[in-house]
Amino acid sequence: MSGIDKHRQKVLIVDDSELNRNILSEMLGSEYDIIEAENGAEAVNILRKESVNISLVLLDIVMPVMDGYGVLAVMNSSHWIDDVPVIMISSDNSVTSMRRAYEYGITEFISRPFDALIVRHRVVNTIMLYAKQKKLVGMVSDQIYEKEKDSNLMINILSHIVEFRNGESGMHVLNVQMFTEILLRQLVCQTDKYNISKSDISLIKKASSLHDIGKISVPDHILNKPGRLTPEEFEIMKNHSVAGASMLEELTAYQDEPLVKIAYQICRWHHERYDGKGYPDGLKGEEIPISAQIVALADVYDALTSERVYKKAFSHEKSVEMIMNGECGCFNPILLECLKSASEAIEKVKEHYSDENKKKREDFAVELMKYDELSASEETLRLLDYERMKNDFYASVSNELYFEYNVSLSMVNLYPNKSNMLDTNELIAYPMNDERLTSIISMNELKKLGMLLKNTSPDSPVVKYDCKARIKNEMHNINIICRSVWNSRSEFCGAVGKAVDMGIL
Amino acid sequence: MTLKECYSALEGDYESVLSRLMTEKLVQKFALKFLNDASFNNLEKNINESNWDDAFREAHTLKGVCQNLSFTKLFSSSSLMTESLRDGNTEEAIRIFSQVREDYNQTVSAIKKLNII
Repeated sequence: MSGIDKHRQKVLIVDDSELNRNILSEMLGSEYDIIEAENGAEAVNILRKESVNISLVLLDIVMPVMDGYGVLAVMNSSHWIDDVPVIMISSDNSVTSMRRAYEYGITEFISRPFDALIVRHRVVNTIMLYAKQKKLVGMVSDQIYEKEKDSNLMINILSHIVEFRNGESGMHVLNVQMFTEILLRQLVCQTDKYNISKSDISLIKKASSLHDIGKISVPDHILNKPGRLTPEEFEIMKNHSVAGASMLEELTAYQDEPLVKIAYQICRWHHERYDGKGYPDGLKGEEIPISAQIVALADVYDALTSERVYKKAFSHEKSVEMIMNGECGCFNPILLECLKSASEAIEKVKEHYSDENKKKREDFAVELMKYDELSASEETLRLLDYERMKNDFYASVSNELYFEYNVSLSMVNLYPNKSNMLDTNELIAYPMNDERLTSIISMNELKKLGMLLKNTSPDSPVVKYDCKARIKNEMHNINIICRSVWNSRSEFCGAVGKAVDMGIL
Repeated sequence: MTLKECYSALEGDYESVLSRLMTEKLVQKFALKFLNDASFNNLEKNINESNWDDAFREAHTLKGVCQNLSFTKLFSSSSLMTESLRDGNTEEAIRIFSQVREDYNQTVSAIKKLNII
């Protein structure tokens, strides 16, 4: 019966009666590894340690310390319930308690008195169902990954060929993709006028790579001419937009493909101007498809901020200013708003993802994000990022200094603050030996604080400590409040806290 | 005393327990384990100490065990007691408890007379 997984499945039985646990475990037979817990709190502890290894939970409702609903609440807030199926053991089959349990995400009920056949079937079916689902989720995400990877790769190879002729690195296409995506996300936040869905964003982003494919029709001596183009040469150069569009139009078999439709718009109209003075068709305002408007803006921004044979790179601020002032074309006022609002994000991305490898990883993360349940680990990373951002922000707007102390690494982390009251590293290794730190707070004070923390317990972890500190050569009164941190084996592993400057002595 | 005779002495439902637990051997195994089950003693202790929340949980546990073992008589009295404790009706619960004790003793003495196979 265990065709899906060769490993033995673990079943957690949570019931306050030993006899009942024995009966259940006997009914399941020897095919499963059984773990037992006699109340909800024990169950939560076991799940905390090995929820990934547990295939199923059989859960009683009425128990001392923490009841079955308590366990379900924890399983929900920690999202264990998404991966670990729960069968509820019920004696009172009242509709309200059954409904409540189902709302908590349980899969099944078994009612007392236990019937060996029914228990076994419910357990086997539930485990099989979840195992199948997990396997399918894995297969689907592998396939999505492969498919996305291949199609992105093909598009990028194609556009790289074009750029290669142009003597460029290939970064331009990737940059335009990223700015297109950021601008689109910003646009969606600012207005629903254009009715852009998540999958539209992904499509426009992908199609943006193709904006210059028409350049393949421009002769080398014009495309790579170091000096200024003559009016005739410029006309030929300008033709790349129409040429790209015709190339796509001639793909007769694929005219209904959304990617081809969007790419056509982008190729043909990414040199139009909002005031109607662009080329090739002189389209004006909203006559220009939004996809082409966005890519045009992303294209101009990247051209300004990148170095070219004929120009140096402008800074982010200068480039945005030039676009805003209408020095580099004429854009939809809504898009200019988007550029302004997303300016910081765009600048960060520009700095951060100049490294191509990083970008590829991020790309996949963004892709996976669309399939919510497939991306638990990416989601976790995003949440971590968010937490870090939040901490930095709180610290930056407060007069207090936040710190973290990690015993095993012997490291203190200080978070930046507005008053900038300390002149030390943000990360201090071996704090007791750090001269700059001990010149601010004496070694004695640090030792005392350390002792106080070590003498706390998980039940009363908070320490308040007032001491003196030398800040910019003046002695200040400092109030420190912190709490010790303990791991699941109740070992002291550090502290978190804040220091408040109470002023000069 | 055979298992079947034991069940009739404690006024339980032998057919039901056998069909659910599948084998006579298992029924006997768990019936014997009932002798070590703490819920009755805990129930008595909590009643004497007026710990009504704990008493409710112990009565509930005893009821659940009896239900699984088809100890019908003890199941009915412990069920009644569970419900009166759930409603907070402690006087009634104490009255019912003497019945529970009587049924418990009847059950235990029947199991003790079992011929071990």
